[in-house]
Amino acid sequence: MELTLEQIIVPSEDIVARLIEDDLIIVPLVAGIGDADDELYTLNETGKAIWSLLDGEKTLGSIAEELSREFNAAPGEIEQDLLGLAGELLLRNIVVAR
Amino acid sequence: MRQLTTIDIKDFPLWEKMKEHRRLFSFDLEITARCNNHCHHCYINLPSGDREARAKELTAQEINDIADQSVALGAVWVLISGGEPLLRDDFEEIYLLLKRKGLLVSVYTNATLIRDEHIALFKKYPPLNIEVTIYGVTKETYERVSGRPGSYDAFMRGLNLLLEGGIKVRLKAMALRSNFHELPAMAAFGRYYTKDYFRFDFQLHFRFDRNEARNLDIKSERLTPDEIVALERGDDERFPVLVEGCNELINEEFSHVGCDHLFHCGLGNGGFNVSYDGKFRLCHSLWAAGTIYDLRQGTVREAWEKFVPKVRDMRSRRAEYLEKCRRCSIVNLCLWCPAHSDLETGELDSPIEYFCQVAHARSAAIQEADAARQEQA
Repeated sequence: MELTLEQIIVPSEDIVARLIEDDLIIVPLVAGIGDADDELYTLNETGKAIWSLLDGEKTLGSIAEELSREFNAAPGEIEQDLLGLAGELLLRNIVVAR
Repeated sequence: MRQLTTIDIKDFPLWEKMKEHRRLFSFDLEITARCNNHCHHCYINLPSGDREARAKELTAQEINDIADQSVALGAVWVLISGGEPLLRDDFEEIYLLLKRKGLLVSVYTNATLIRDEHIALFKKYPPLNIEVTIYGVTKETYERVSGRPGSYDAFMRGLNLLLEGGIKVRLKAMALRSNFHELPAMAAFGRYYTKDYFRFDFQLHFRFDRNEARNLDIKSERLTPDEIVALERGDDERFPVLVEGCNELINEEFSHVGCDHLFHCGLGNGGFNVSYDGKFRLCHSLWAAGTIYDLRQGTVREAWEKFVPKVRDMRSRRAEYLEKCRRCSIVNLCLWCPAHSDLETGELDSPIEYFCQVAHARSAAIQEADAARQEQA
């Protein structure tokens, strides 16, 4: 499924996201999230910033705007990064689209 | 730049951070001391119908609170063990509440109580692994160890359900007097079903409840030092590793380094154990006075932050220990530890002759193999 900037994505109920010593660790709760049952995921700093804004209210577009201001980066560049990560998270069932 | 990264548990960033400072990584929950088997060698098993033991067990709510506190301290991994954890009617509730906190969950079981419901649970909510102990590969041997007629068939049925369900199973075996004749077949069995992981354990320690009659049973199941060495020598995977590490395992410099601290292992650095009745300990073998913290009267944080450092700072004044064990060049090959010392002698710092004999036999075998290796080179 192709995501657009008008969509809202939220963390799936099938994962647990934990902040441990500044690392954001995503722990799959059910089978089928990762390629293997003992796989975990972590997000880099940009990914963490995106994740913290997935509040169920903001569209991907408004998140891109917010990040663009925060990181003083071109909106187009942020949008590309954001849609790339959101697509990967969606593909792995780590988030769901509304 | 890739924002989402897959990490394997062995590459977990916390491993590196643990080297920098002591931090909580894992904890073991013995959710019951009861077991449906009656193994002679077991350090914990109480009868499955033991009402007193059952009444003392942590409730699911208490386990939930302990897990919440542990997760708040950063715990990532929990081992559910026993006794036989599947004896508890609320096993599924406990398993799921731990999973839902974002913990990686491992389970130790004898597999005899595995049912279709467990397979459905583990398939939907995968454990990190299920570790099953093999007591024998024939009915006669298995049940000689388990002490329960019908247990072999139940074990095979449970194991097959796990394997057919695609659940990640690891097998291990206790090397005992009662199954010594069958160990090669047990190793073949174990390695056939779990290709990446199989191990023998010959370390039998005494019971947590200090039951003297049961301790005699345990002692009778111990292998002799020569048998242990023969077993290790026959292990084509592990023995070469021991020989390779000969210079680190056997180090004459140890004899020049004195220290009166009791605990030299890593216990309490990254994890802890909780007994079925809520007693926090630095490892499952440690039951000595002054090393137990009751979580029903306190908090995990207090135990972890204040109690553990106190225990780790315990010292010995016993000359026999300080001169013999603490200055022993083969201490790294010895099964001795303060916890086992306490279980055997009631003191945390008494040398134990059996462990000493095993260590010397292992040392001789490793040095002999190392000399042969060097000669060949």
